[in-house]
Amino acid sequence: MITIRNLAMTYRTAHGEHQAVRGVSLEVKQGEFYTLLGPSGCGKTTILRCVAGLEHPDAGEILIGGEVVFSAERGIWVPPHNRNIGMVFQSYAIWPHMTVFENVAFPLRHKRPRLARAEIRERVAKALQLVHLDGLEDRPAPYLSGGQQQRLALARALVGEPRVLLLDEPLSNLDAKLREEMRFEIRQVVDRLGVTTLFVTHEQIEALTMSDVMAVMKDGVIIQEGAPAEIYTRPAAEFVADFIGRTNFLRGTVASVGGDGDMPVASIETPIGVLACRVDAATRAGDAVTVAVRPENVAIALDEGGGGGENSFAGTVESVVYVGNMLDCLVAVAGERIRLQLHPSASLARGTNVRLDLPVEHCLAMQR
Amino acid sequence: MVTAALAASFAVVVLLAVVLWLSFTDGAPGDPALAYTLAHYADVFLDAFTYRVLGNTVLFAVIALAVALACALPMAWLMERTDFPGKPVVFTLMTVALLIPGFAVALGWVFLVHAKIGLLNRALMAVLGLGAAPFNVATVPGMGMVEGLSLAPLAFIMVAVVLRAMDPALEEAAAIAGARPVAVMWRVTLRVLWPGLLAAAIYVLTIGFAAFDVPAILGLSARIFTFSTYVFSALTPTAGAPEYGEVATLSVIMAAIAALLSVCYRTAQRQAPKYAVVTGKAYRPRIARLGRWRPPAVALVTLYFVVAQLMPLAMLAWAALLPYLQTPSAAALALVTLRNFTGLPRALVLRAIGNTALLMLLVPSITLVLSAAVSWVVLRTRLRGRAVVDFLAFLPLAIPGIVFSVAALLLALFVLRPVAPIYGTIWLLVLVYVVARLSYGTRMMNGALIQIHRELEESASICGASTAGVLRRVLVPLMAPAMVYAWIWIALLTYRELTLPVLLSNGSNLPFSFLVWGFVQASSYGQASAASLLMLGLMAPALFLYWIAARGAGMIAPR
Repeated sequence: MITIRNLAMTYRTAHGEHQAVRGVSLEVKQGEFYTLLGPSGCGKTTILRCVAGLEHPDAGEILIGGEVVFSAERGIWVPPHNRNIGMVFQSYAIWPHMTVFENVAFPLRHKRPRLARAEIRERVAKALQLVHLDGLEDRPAPYLSGGQQQRLALARALVGEPRVLLLDEPLSNLDAKLREEMRFEIRQVVDRLGVTTLFVTHEQIEALTMSDVMAVMKDGVIIQEGAPAEIYTRPAAEFVADFIGRTNFLRGTVASVGGDGDMPVASIETPIGVLACRVDAATRAGDAVTVAVRPENVAIALDEGGGGGENSFAGTVESVVYVGNMLDCLVAVAGERIRLQLHPSASLARGTNVRLDLPVEHCLAMQR
Repeated sequence: MVTAALAASFAVVVLLAVVLWLSFTDGAPGDPALAYTLAHYADVFLDAFTYRVLGNTVLFAVIALAVALACALPMAWLMERTDFPGKPVVFTLMTVALLIPGFAVALGWVFLVHAKIGLLNRALMAVLGLGAAPFNVATVPGMGMVEGLSLAPLAFIMVAVVLRAMDPALEEAAAIAGARPVAVMWRVTLRVLWPGLLAAAIYVLTIGFAAFDVPAILGLSARIFTFSTYVFSALTPTAGAPEYGEVATLSVIMAAIAALLSVCYRTAQRQAPKYAVVTGKAYRPRIARLGRWRPPAVALVTLYFVVAQLMPLAMLAWAALLPYLQTPSAAALALVTLRNFTGLPRALVLRAIGNTALLMLLVPSITLVLSAAVSWVVLRTRLRGRAVVDFLAFLPLAIPGIVFSVAALLLALFVLRPVAPIYGTIWLLVLVYVVARLSYGTRMMNGALIQIHRELEESASICGASTAGVLRRVLVPLMAPAMVYAWIWIALLTYRELTLPVLLSNGSNLPFSFLVWGFVQASSYGQASAASLLMLGLMAPALFLYWIAARGAGMIAPR
């Protein structure tokens, strides 16, 4: 539904040039919820604004529903009002001089051929119902709460039955509780309508919980694209593993590669000892790698002396912090610190000697 | 601090009270036979001429507003919302235009489109073979247009600020909703900006209503009055003693109308924040690409500067260099002489320069000390009655300059004469200049003080600094850029001021602007032009200083 090919855009400001997007290609299928995730300044919002037609990119091509809306080569740039899209802005951009009804009716009033009054009224009512704002039609827009403004923005974006829905960090201005509710609600509305959605956020939790497909961006390029579970469990780069969830990193060198061809396992020399890890097919002995292990995958037991098996290491508890739903522990192993999670009811004192098990299937080695 | 704030409030109250009191009394003040009466109000309200003047003033102000907005709106949009080239230059020129003395530009217009001597008129009559002059600037519409052109920079800066405060996402959302650019402009941009634009328009209207320079120079000799010039002429009758009671009454009425306008202004201004959508994010304006419209846009802006500023000032220079005004030609060029400059009364010019310099030092300094005190009392203390202090400091903004001039005159003549005979001295000018600039000063200081978090002062006093120490070591250094900027701005306003001294000056305490005024009244236009030109020349280094300070304080902020 949305196809982007080799998109590039440079901002020229008084302080010099900034390459916001450097050659991004992606494909969002019909009805898919696609998320661009990355730290601020990574170019994700710029891509969204290029799709909306709010920016003039320097190079590449953008297609919406098969129609070329931008092509640097062919000199095509369709203005935003002719792209038939819906968009929710970070600031919501609710027009303060209009009522709730007028805000939602706006996109319908600019449809050609003109719609009948009755139809406009009916479709506005339906859109407001969809976001649970029915009954507030006549209220001046500035007199809505933050959450209501957010819903209004969503209704306005969807009322015209756009080909695609663009969401620019729509949850960032809400408080934590409301944000969680709206995550669920937005996804539900989108599912019900089956509208293709491009979503931009810097919150990993939003990307993980809402997307069908997500792309992690850094410095204007996509680092990794895939389903949320795939990105979380098999990050392709240290940046991805670090940006999404918490991760322990161990640097090391590949000693040998074994296992079957589909899922090779390598022995890696790290500061805490030799570690068996999953690697990709391209990994060879002698490669410098970083091993990533999620805290929730590290198993812990009291050290009762005696050596451990594969990927088992002795250490000392350095700190235990209570965070409500878990204990956040740091264990020192041969000068490195490994973070892990424990059930809040566990009792573990600082200085206790423990043994850590790092399961092979959860140790992921990435090329450095 | 508190004493200074109270002194400032006291000065405002006394000046206005004197006018009010005199408007209700009969006979010479100090006279034992003095009686309270409503006769002056009856006289003024029953005089048909009052209504004619009122009608003139309203027409004058409305035309001025229309012309000012017609220039300011497109230019502000070009500067804030398009990729117009060389924006800092335009902003700088606009600020300079704001400071060029109004009487100098008005004088230039006399030479251009005066019915008898205007060169443009004569040229058109010669070329088109007309029997009569096509333009007459000594009419209410003519004066209104000239006033409008000189108010355009003020309107421009106010509109630009309004445009800057809008979230561009509001427009982007409309475009995405399918609205074409014209519909976006009409249905979203203009509607959202409406309260802000309305406030700016009312403000400009208030200034136009109180204007003195343009109607005085263009209209007085033809006896076409607006309120300001009517008050002035009532105080300087050709025969007999002035009717002080009636003048005071006119001043009260004028002040009341102006105060009403500023109430409207405050109301409109309060509407504006209702529309502000809080995002906590700095707005990045939506910049439209001019593309092939760039050359016409540049031409339009250039045309404004040429017509509204350059042409009248060039005429001023031309008139100053000729023994008598004539159409530019080779023959006229041969007559060019510096006689108008060398013929200026040297001692008087030097005295005027000295007086102006003294005023430019004293007025901004005293105003800023008082304003800082008022701001501090209003914003940082819990003193009872601080709201009254705030209101009194705002009041001068609403009061036309000529009313202050009248007030100071009456105060000096009838109240202060036995105790402090300051009439005819520079101190009377200092007093009235300071009071008139008090609103501007306090607004600037309020703005600067609000930006300084209270905790910065509190932490200084917890670290052991006394109140004076907090002031000296924390507040003053942090407010310094804003103070320097405001100081220079007030100094420049003092330099160009004509309305305030017009009733208070004589041969000894005259500022430079009054010297020019004297030549205009004596119909020595050549010398008036020469003196104006000299004044503009002397202003140049001060303008440069201002430009540096404004950049330092971030006040010239085009993108």
